Amino acid sequence: MSVNGLSSGYGSVAVLHEVEFTVGHEIFAVLGANGAGKTTLLTTLAGLLPAFSGSIAYHGTDVTNLSASESARLGVGYVPQEASVFPDLSVLENLTVGGMIGTRPHEERLEEVFETFPDLRTKLDLRAGNLSGGESRMVACGRALMQDPTVLLLDEPTAGLSPLYLELFFEKVAEIHRTRGVSIVLTEQNATQALGIADRVMVLSLGVGSEPMSADAVTTDLLREGYQI
Amino acid sequence: MNLDWLDAFLIFGAFKVVEIMGLGLLVHLQLGLTRVANFGVVGFWGVGLYAFGVAYLKVDWPFGDLYQFLVCAAIATIVAAAAGLVVGWLISDLDDDGTLVGTLGFATIVVILATTQQGLTGGALGLGGLGFPYDFGRVKTHEFTWLLITTAVVVLIFAYAWRVHRTPHGRLLIAVGANEALARSLGKSATAARLRMMTVTSGAMGLLGAMHGVMVRSLEINSLDVSVTLAALAALILGGTARVFGAVVGVLLTVALFDIVIQFYIPIPDGWNTQALPVAREAVFGAAIVLMLIFRPQGLLGQMRRPALMRRLHGDW
Repeated sequence: MSVNGLSSGYGSVAVLHEVEFTVGHEIFAVLGANGAGKTTLLTTLAGLLPAFSGSIAYHGTDVTNLSASESARLGVGYVPQEASVFPDLSVLENLTVGGMIGTRPHEERLEEVFETFPDLRTKLDLRAGNLSGGESRMVACGRALMQDPTVLLLDEPTAGLSPLYLELFFEKVAEIHRTRGVSIVLTEQNATQALGIADRVMVLSLGVGSEPMSADAVTTDLLREGYQI
Repeated sequence: MNLDWLDAFLIFGAFKVVEIMGLGLLVHLQLGLTRVANFGVVGFWGVGLYAFGVAYLKVDWPFGDLYQFLVCAAIATIVAAAAGLVVGWLISDLDDDGTLVGTLGFATIVVILATTQQGLTGGALGLGGLGFPYDFGRVKTHEFTWLLITTAVVVLIFAYAWRVHRTPHGRLLIAVGANEALARSLGKSATAARLRMMTVTSGAMGLLGAMHGVMVRSLEINSLDVSVTLAALAALILGGTARVFGAVVGVLLTVALFDIVIQFYIPIPDGWNTQALPVAREAVFGAAIVLMLIFRPQGLLGQMRRPALMRRLHGDW
C-alpha cells in the first residue's frame, strides 16, 4: 500500500495533512495522541471517508476513489476502534458476514480464525452485543480475517482493554502477520506495546505524519514531540 | 358453501387483520432488520391499489376474470416495486429523520395524484367495478374465499420474512441496519442490499393493495388514509420491530382487538362502531407507539436474536 500526499477530514475541516508512507509486508504502526488523526487516516484508507487530495495505491492500483466495499474486495480488511461488531448477530454470524466475499470455503476460513482466536469457538451462539470488550475485538478481527485480507487496518485494537487482553491482543496481531502473511497497519496510543511488535513506525501529530522509521530507531524524545508532551 | 352463520362484517374485520399483518411483516423487514423508517406504507400500498384498479378498469383486457386479475396484480406489484426502488434510492443517503420525511412525502404525493388525476382514478368520487377473479354465485362466499387467499399470501410473506432472517442477504441487511459504515467494509454494497429489500417489500405492499381493491371492489380515496401506516407501525412496535412474530402478535393485540373483538363481541352502545370506536382506535394506536417507545422500545417479544435461535443457526453450520 502506498499513500502519497493524503489529506482528508470531515466536511470542510481537514484533519490529515499530506501524509505519506508505504506499507510492505510488515506491521506498520501509526502512533499518536488523541485527536492526532489516526482514525481519520484508517477510515480514509478503508474507503469510508473520501480523500481531499493525494492518492492511495494498492498493489500499484489507484484506489483513492474506490468505495469501502470495493476496497474490501481488493483485500483491505478494516477493524474500527468502536462499534466493531454487529450486536444483533451472533458471534458466528458476525464471522460469516465477513466471509461473504472471497472464494475459499467458509469452514476453512472459520477454522483458521479459530486457530488464531480459539476462545471464539465456544462462544459462537452468543449475541455479539453481549460480549466483553476484549471478546468483541476478537470477533471484529476474526470477521476481518474471514475476508481473506492482504492488508489489515486495525484502529486502536487495544483501546479500553484490560492489561491481560492488551498483551494477548498484541501477541495475536503479531501472530496474524507471521502466520497468515497479512500486512498490518496499526494505530495505537500505547507506544511501548506497539513498538514491541511493529517493523516500522510513523508518528502522527495534529494530522501531520513524521518520516516513517524503523521501530528500533524511535526515541523517547521523538515520541514526546509527536505526542506533544 | 353455506356461510349464513358468518357475519359479512366479520369477514371484512378479519381481512383487515390479515392485511395489516402482511404490511406489518413487510415493515418488519424494512424497519426491524434494515432500520429504514418507512412512514409512507400507505403510499406503496396505495400505489398497488390504484395501479391495480386503473389497469383493471381502464384497459380492455382480452381475457377472462382470473387472467385479468393476475395481470393487473402483477402490474400493481411491479409499479409498487419500482416506486420502492426509486424512493429507496432517493433516501439512501438520508438519515432517519430524512427517511421518515421522504417516505411520508411519497405517501402524500400518491394521495394527491389519486385525488387529482380524476380521468384515471375517479378522484374523490373513486371508481367502482373491481371484481373477484372467480364466480361462485354468492357474494359472501366470494369474500370468504378472498379472505382465505389473502391469508395464504400473508403466510407466504411470513415465510419469506422468516427465511430472510436465516440467509446471508438477511444477515447483511441486519449488518447494514446496525452499522452501515462497518457493513460497507464487508465488501458488499450496502446500498444495493437496501434497495433490493425496499424493492421486494414495496412490491409486496403493492400486491396487498391490489388484494384490498378486489375485496372492497372499488377505488376510494378515503382508503389512502394514514391509519394504514399507523396500524402497521403500532402493531409492529407493540409486538417488537426486530422479531418476525412481532407483527403477528402486535396485530392481534391492536387491529384484531378493535376490528373483531370489540366490534363484534363486546356490547357497546349503538353508534359507537361508526363514530367513537374509530377515533378511540387511532388514539390507542398512537398511545401504544409512544408508550412502547418510552418503556419497552424492543417491543413485547424483545430483541432480535434469542439464544434458542442462535443455537439453531449454529446447528445449521
